[in-house]
Amino acid sequence: MTEPPTSAPPKTRQPKTFAPVGSTGITGNTENAENADEGENVGDAVIQLVSVGRTFDSEPPVHALRDVNLTVRRGEHLSIVGPSGSGKSTLLNTLGLLDRPTSGTYRLDGVETNALGDLERTALRGSRIGFVFQSFHLLPYRTVEENVMLAETYRRPRPGRGRGGRRARAEEVLDRVGLAHRAGFRPDRLSGGERQRVAIARALLGEPALLLCDEPTGNLDSENTESVLDLFDRLSEQGMTLVVITHEEAVSRRADRRARISDGRLTEESR
Amino acid sequence: MRAPARLPEAAEVNTGGRRTGRRARPRRRGGARGVERPRMDVRDLWTEALAGVLARPLRSALTTLGTVLGITTLVITIGVSSTAGNQIVGRFDALGATSVTVVVPPPPPSADPVPLVDWSGVRAVARLAGVESVAAIADSQETASVQVRANDVVAPGEVTGQTMAVVAASPTLPAAVRGRMTAGRFFDDGDVSRHERVAVVGDQAARLLGIGSVEDSPAVFLKGQAYTVIGVLGGAEREQRLATAVILPPTTAADRLGLGTVTRVLINTALGAADQVAHQAPIALAPGADDALAVMAPPDPADARKGVQGDVNGLFLVLGLVSLVVGAIGIANVTLVTVIERIGEIGLRRALGASRRQVAGQFLLESTTIGLLGGVVGAALGLVVVVAVSAVRDWTPVLDVRLAFGAPVAGALVGLLAGLYPSLRAARMEPVDALRS
Repeated sequence: MTEPPTSAPPKTRQPKTFAPVGSTGITGNTENAENADEGENVGDAVIQLVSVGRTFDSEPPVHALRDVNLTVRRGEHLSIVGPSGSGKSTLLNTLGLLDRPTSGTYRLDGVETNALGDLERTALRGSRIGFVFQSFHLLPYRTVEENVMLAETYRRPRPGRGRGGRRARAEEVLDRVGLAHRAGFRPDRLSGGERQRVAIARALLGEPALLLCDEPTGNLDSENTESVLDLFDRLSEQGMTLVVITHEEAVSRRADRRARISDGRLTEESR
Repeated sequence: MRAPARLPEAAEVNTGGRRTGRRARPRRRGGARGVERPRMDVRDLWTEALAGVLARPLRSALTTLGTVLGITTLVITIGVSSTAGNQIVGRFDALGATSVTVVVPPPPPSADPVPLVDWSGVRAVARLAGVESVAAIADSQETASVQVRANDVVAPGEVTGQTMAVVAASPTLPAAVRGRMTAGRFFDDGDVSRHERVAVVGDQAARLLGIGSVEDSPAVFLKGQAYTVIGVLGGAEREQRLATAVILPPTTAADRLGLGTVTRVLINTALGAADQVAHQAPIALAPGADDALAVMAPPDPADARKGVQGDVNGLFLVLGLVSLVVGAIGIANVTLVTVIERIGEIGLRRALGASRRQVAGQFLLESTTIGLLGGVVGAALGLVVVVAVSAVRDWTPVLDVRLAFGAPVAGALVGLLAGLYPSLRAARMEPVDALRS
């Protein structure tokens, strides 16, 4: 009953270090063999979709995603564009662990998600993904700071990040998005761009492996859009993994990689 | 998986490494999958729920109204009825609640000649805590109606012979019946020990026999024997039949009338001691045979009134319970509306890693808090009304501590029950659908 000799002491543990995919996968060897067939080095992959499909059981059945393969590595900035009805939302829900694919496998940050139960998916979602929504989803009756602090409410405190320091950390991320002076404000007193930056700060507080943005500039004018996109650029430079789903060309142009989804099929665009 | 995982922690505690052990646990629980379970600090849950309640203060305040009404009605009903009930008991205390009578059953014909209760038993009872006065009486069927006349001289037209009861009693009788000597004195221990042929008559008997004063030592004749009347006993509040009786010292009565067996013992107790004395007196009187004695503690006159009041109170209790149910429905309704209004918030919380249980817990705690607030306000209002009613009626308010603390708990319980269904609705919501709205 002693700790495994390989594990590092808790103090030195990095929040974002995860074991390689091959050793942490919970599914059997066949899955790993399949991944090996892809012939890719997936050691630093944050997202790995392998022939993912999602079919809705309606009459007639809707194939929202068909054979989607996608790998996003740590630090990459990927944009996914597509018209409405193309499967964008389904892809976002799948990536955000809000929906389950009907076929294929999805590995998030090295964790095979298909076999996880509802509770584990919820925990994984809370600890690895930072969501940024088109409609911000800020609680109107809480201050900016409290909205940001909400990100740490539903998780076990990480070493060195106890409950007591939460406010200080919230101020820190607000400073990162340039809104330290708005900490005590209610969201309804902020401009749209400021609100979205608060939402981004909330997503950043959780130290996610992935920032998943769903039409982040859909409700913003061009000036505010610019401020949010500048923030994305800065975050990307700092090493944050970004996946931005959008229908605006201007937004998608800022990304390192662009993928287009159409009729449930994902195709990468070369720049 | 959990039990074995705890063992090393215990070992670390022994070596002073508790902190390390605690920190290491989350990682271990995550296991090979690298997935922690969702966890929420109780303080965070409380903060979220309180913020939810305070987000719309007016609505929350209005929602508590039903619970406030219900709890107030219940507290007033229970509080006023217990206050009033206590007043009735208090009023009767002064009159009769301090009287205890021990009845000695007549010995069966075949029994041994030793009497069940001896005259000296009176002194044993007098020593009991809470006893203020005590006296024993002996009477019998044969002496219940005896021809008594005042003197031998029969004046024409004057009826001097009367049928009266003759009893024997301890010298402490006047205090025990709460009477007083209207003339002369009662016989004392000396008279008893000397077997004096003296008698005390009741005030009614004195009038019937034409005895006005005892200064000239009038005599009464009964069963052909003369007794000197040394006093008249009047104003007896207990054993009022003694007003028409001739009372003899027990020794004298035993000698001359065979009236020597104690049949009743009259006890007056201090306020509130009646129950205990009623329990102890038979043991003091007849150790070992106390079961044979019948004790008459005063019947509680409040019982009857309480019964009548109970019907009225029952109506108000039902009213209070109905308002509580209405309050619960109100809370359920508003919580349901709140859940539907906050679907987006539920989606956000799920996206931030809240489990279904944590979402349900928050809404449940919000409705419970609203119920608790209603309970606290209702209990306070109710208690104020009870005190006010007592002040107007000049009563002493009687407030049960359990009532004061139970009412808010009842309110919280109402909120908890009312929140069950809306919380379940919130928990069942799929995050995808919730975020879309």
